[in-house]
Amino acid sequence: MFNQFEKNLRRLFEKNSIHFSENGKFYKFRPLFEAVETIFFTPAIPAGCPPFVRDGIDLKRFMSIVLLALMPPLFFGIYNTGYHSLAASGIELHFLNIIISGLLTVMPLIIVSYAAGFFWEILFAVIRKHPISEGFLVTGLLFPMTLPPTVPLWQVAVGISFGVVIGKEVFGGTGRNIFNPALTARAFLFFAYPAKMSGDRVWVAVSDTASTAISAVTGATPLAVAALSPSFDNIESMLQSAGFTLSTLFIGHYPGSVGGTSALCCLMGALILIITGVASYRIIIGGVAGLLLTSFLLGIVSTAPLNPWIDINPLYHLAAGGFAFGIVYMATDPVSGPGTNTSKWFYGFFIGMMTVLIRIFNPAYPEGVMMAILFMNLFAPLFDFIEIRMHVSKRIVNV
Amino acid sequence: MKTVKIKKGWQFKIAGKPSHRIENRPAITHVAFVPDQIPFVKPRLMVQVGDKVKIGSILFEDKKRPGLKFLSPGCGKISDVTFGPRRVIHEIVIALDNDERFKTFEILTEPVLEQIERKLLIDRLMNGGMWPFVRQLPFRQIADPDSLPNAVWVSLGSADPFQPSAHIYLKGQTDFFEFGIKALRRLADTVNICRYNETPVKSDSTANYVTHRLFGKYPASDPGVVLYHTKKNAAENRDWYIDGQDVIQLGKFLKTGAYPIDRMVSFSDGSFENSCHLKTRMGIRLKDLAPGIINDHRKRWVVGGVLSGYTSIRDDFLDLHQTSVMLMDESHESELFGFVRPGFKKLSNSRSVISAFSSAPLPINSDMHGEQRPCINCGYCAKICPVDIMPQYTFKSIYADEIEEALACGLLDCVECGLCSFVCPSKIELTDFLVDAKHRYHKEINQGV
Repeated sequence: MFNQFEKNLRRLFEKNSIHFSENGKFYKFRPLFEAVETIFFTPAIPAGCPPFVRDGIDLKRFMSIVLLALMPPLFFGIYNTGYHSLAASGIELHFLNIIISGLLTVMPLIIVSYAAGFFWEILFAVIRKHPISEGFLVTGLLFPMTLPPTVPLWQVAVGISFGVVIGKEVFGGTGRNIFNPALTARAFLFFAYPAKMSGDRVWVAVSDTASTAISAVTGATPLAVAALSPSFDNIESMLQSAGFTLSTLFIGHYPGSVGGTSALCCLMGALILIITGVASYRIIIGGVAGLLLTSFLLGIVSTAPLNPWIDINPLYHLAAGGFAFGIVYMATDPVSGPGTNTSKWFYGFFIGMMTVLIRIFNPAYPEGVMMAILFMNLFAPLFDFIEIRMHVSKRIVNV
Repeated sequence: MKTVKIKKGWQFKIAGKPSHRIENRPAITHVAFVPDQIPFVKPRLMVQVGDKVKIGSILFEDKKRPGLKFLSPGCGKISDVTFGPRRVIHEIVIALDNDERFKTFEILTEPVLEQIERKLLIDRLMNGGMWPFVRQLPFRQIADPDSLPNAVWVSLGSADPFQPSAHIYLKGQTDFFEFGIKALRRLADTVNICRYNETPVKSDSTANYVTHRLFGKYPASDPGVVLYHTKKNAAENRDWYIDGQDVIQLGKFLKTGAYPIDRMVSFSDGSFENSCHLKTRMGIRLKDLAPGIINDHRKRWVVGGVLSGYTSIRDDFLDLHQTSVMLMDESHESELFGFVRPGFKKLSNSRSVISAFSSAPLPINSDMHGEQRPCINCGYCAKICPVDIMPQYTFKSIYADEIEEALACGLLDCVECGLCSFVCPSKIELTDFLVDAKHRYHKEINQGV
């Protein structure tokens, strides 16, 4: 049966290929046709110049592995969103209900993100006459996972449009962008529509019929709890009394962005990425080290209670908020990050450091990893430049 | 003896490694000389179709360096001269006589060799058609006889298991090899003999004269790689190199006075039964190497190594320098959902396929396994490059016409091994791009010559 399906599919593409050929009426949309065809069939292209044997990996496989690594936080995110939505609405917490509710909240975000983003991808590919890039498969999923579940769908569309067009295509498309497109999109929404992107009331999707239970669950994220806490004496007990123990934070079972709450799931994703060699372990480990070391050192030197986050156990920094998600999936984007090995350590380290600094010294702005990564994206070429210069100076000149 | 360990590179995992069995493959009716695979040589033909030639008669010389002669690998009648694009001579085909005769050259005895002037020895090798076997880094052209290299590198054995095994071609030829080495010692003060063992052996007949023992993955045995990892100053960049099998030919030529035409060629078609070593001769027609293979329309002939060789066809002839022929499957069928298949049989240097976690040899074909995309800066090429040139930045420098920057990154250290193109997930033709830039640079600096 499968073979029959394959045969029919092959015939379908062969038959319609003529319409998209040079003389066909849909020649303009050839990139779209190719994109669809190559999703089903990896084309047979003979190698034109040596070597005549090529590696089995291509960008599609590369990006598919990132998608695979995104599955644990996505599935957990769907569950988590559904759970808190139902809990807030006072509906019975049955597993099936939770999943359905989660899917109803999360899937529209993902669908709108992909639809709006692919519209721009296809438009640019058709006008520029280049193939549609696989990179967007990742961007289109990463972006909605960083959003609060309550964000209006039109904002998702506006955000991803900004991310794809301004974050990527104006630079010339995939491989030439200087910022991570998904984060560019999120940063745009964050500053353009702060009311829908931050604060206490955006993190739980509640249906309109919700009644009395709302106030019991709707509330601040752990980062906000700490920032808003009136007494600076003991932040850890403060967080715990709000229900945020370290293990809750690590597992991620608290209201937050769709996919970014669970450090545990991000750890699973990180393992997939590192084992397959798709993401750089240097950036991830460097980032974690930067975060822990900076918060540890600040904890030692702080005398006056400047901000509650300064005295906290560094592990809280690691588990809370979107740091884990950012360092695993956003910072490791090879295009916007550095390409040389030592630079990767520094790049990761500085992201971790900046995250802590923003969390601590900017009370208006509890989540720091997004800005930290975008900021370091800006420096990645400089890191590369310095490392290449150092590398070149060590070589024996050969001209 | 020095030990050189090279960390980067690729461990071959391709099925069909030539076995140590030796088969004879005499030429059937024709042999030919293939000038267009020799870089930077402009042939001036000295024969016409219909001329009679002996083994060792001159066929053509280099227009740029008239003393550089190329001799006939067969005795008989010139039956055809074919031209490629832009009237480049592609092949000079010789229809063989039944009874082949050699042109004779002066024999050199050992005491004479010790006394002979360097210049005279070079002249002798140039006249005897042996000079083309001595080549020069970094452009890999035929060595400049007027220059004095820092060292000559002799490579014995290859990290590419599809090249002939040194163990096999040295058998019974050690006298000639040693004589060849003595001749090389007259050409340069230092002769470095690098031994790469395909399989670890306890006792090795070459142990007496080997100076460098090499360890590492492909292309650890390449003289360019060894030079990169051992050189101390820029003066060594223009060192000469010669393959171990050609040293035997050199010794044979000087000792016997005849142009040596026998060759040990490794052949593989991916199967266990047919892949072996072939005792044959220079300039043999490819199809004569594999008489059993009649239907090859879904196959591709690759001459000169799996990763660094060029494509040929069955009616073409073996080039002067090449000793390895591979017959691999042509890519012909698209693969359903190829990119999400776990890849039990996919060959990849990355860990994105299941087969990466096993070392079992895999069948190959000449498919790209994907479409070309922009560079995403993944760094796979830099991770594997044996001479650390960071191909992703070097190729962008060339792309931006910053040739100085590319040279500073080490463009000329490139050994043309093909690994960067092999591993690139964006399927960018990095090797081709780098080699092309090298050739353009070579032309530029030799414009006045």
